[in-house]
Amino acid sequence: MASRYDRAITVFSPDGHLFQVEYAQEAVKKGSTAVGIRGTNIVVLGVEKKSVAKLQDERTVRKICALDDHVCMAFAGLTADARVVINRARVECQSHKLTVEDSVTVEYITRFIATLKQKYTQSNGRRPFGISALIVGFDDDGIPRLYQTDPSGTYHAWKANAIGRSAKTVREFLEKNYTEDAISNDNEAIKLAIRALLEVVQSGGKNIELAIIRRNQPLKMFSAKEIELQVSELEKEKEEAEKKKSKKTV
Amino acid sequence: MAATFFGEVVKAPCRAGAEDDEEEEEERRRETPEDREVRRQLARKREVRLLRRQTKASLEVALLEKYSCSRFIIAVGNNAVAFLSSFVMNSGVWEEVGCAKLWNEWCRTTDAVHMSPTEAHCVFYHLKSNPSVFGSCPKKNMQVTVLTCRHVTDYKTSESTGSLPSPFLKALKTQNFKDPVCCSLLEQPNIVHDLPAAVLSYCQVWQLPAVLYLCYTDVMKLDLLTAEAFKPVLSSRGLKGLAKNVPQSTEILRKLMTANEVQSNIYT
Repeated sequence: MASRYDRAITVFSPDGHLFQVEYAQEAVKKGSTAVGIRGTNIVVLGVEKKSVAKLQDERTVRKICALDDHVCMAFAGLTADARVVINRARVECQSHKLTVEDSVTVEYITRFIATLKQKYTQSNGRRPFGISALIVGFDDDGIPRLYQTDPSGTYHAWKANAIGRSAKTVREFLEKNYTEDAISNDNEAIKLAIRALLEVVQSGGKNIELAIIRRNQPLKMFSAKEIELQVSELEKEKEEAEKKKSKKTV
Repeated sequence: MAATFFGEVVKAPCRAGAEDDEEEEEERRRETPEDREVRRQLARKREVRLLRRQTKASLEVALLEKYSCSRFIIAVGNNAVAFLSSFVMNSGVWEEVGCAKLWNEWCRTTDAVHMSPTEAHCVFYHLKSNPSVFGSCPKKNMQVTVLTCRHVTDYKTSESTGSLPSPFLKALKTQNFKDPVCCSLLEQPNIVHDLPAAVLSYCQVWQLPAVLYLCYTDVMKLDLLTAEAFKPVLSSRGLKGLAKNVPQSTEILRKLMTANEVQSNIYT
């Protein structure tokens, strides 16, 4: 049945599927993992960095991009589609600021991106965007936000979420470990993001990229050293926990 | 004939048969000697060749038959092969006994003789310390284990693929396989494809106990999580005792992944 209704984006199947949109969601799974966590006073985005070719400039291979001073996003899926969406979002952020003299809210820019994606699921001759995005930031009211969009054009607010390869494994980890205690402290929220990524990242800390936004502060990208520091702290904590556990059993 | 939304004309399949069947039959009967020669050459090209990789010397099938065996393990696909080579072949000394090369019209090269190792190629190894593990031809009391991967979209389910816990393992076995399987059986419609299906069918026909462990994953290239999803198989009778040092094997697998990482800029 799928093969007769999956070639044109504008055709529903008899059981109500839009196969092209569902296939676009498979394209998202080909991208590396990205995780977003909304803390009490911080929002964290962590991504699995893909290995860069020897002659490639690392700075041009980025999964985390700022849309404005107070909003940033991480994506998973088709690189070129992401570039187009990010450019449009950045222009919209500035256009909004110039028109109404206020910065965009995180929800506004998310809705803009989601509407853009939805248009491409209803247009003749165009295919959907093959990306999912995690958009984080602080609004003027000081409340942290995390939104996720997908190729169908839906968007939802989340406390913590993951997209890309093995997203389900990371989401399950977050469901078990996301507690009010875990996110009350900025450092704990960062550690939670790194721990979630380490569940699925194949080569440890050197393949992780992290960005945070604190209330009234600009986006901060962690350097490789800072991430290594966090990872080694986590490993120490894990060893200590295991020692305690073996002592208890003895 | 049917027309789609964009005006492309699509030939609808017809089970009543094509209208010009009779004319085609007559044409087929008019075969020239040239046709026969082409057919003979194709048949020669499609022959399965057995040889030793290092010396490129041909092996007779009878030579392989001297290796009788009780356990035959076959891995199809890069993740299954990575799992087997890290966990099983790194624990113990495995000796290569031969390799099978074949060519057919689906191969991308037309040169059937000098094919590169990435094309239709199957290498046979046997465990030096226990030569009864492996073999090429069916003997009684031989148990066959097949490991392979498929994309999760091949798994027939009413749920969306996003909600499936991929990678996950499913099993399919022949009637004569009486041992317990280490994961749930593949539900209906339990359809498998290609070489694993051919091996299972062969074993079913010749009443050999065989089991296929199929890993459904959403990452078809070499991936650590997918290869590790085969770990439960180590407790099965087919692979019992073959993996000696699991933590070391996991390290080897990790190194294999990083060594083989292919950079693609299309997906980030």
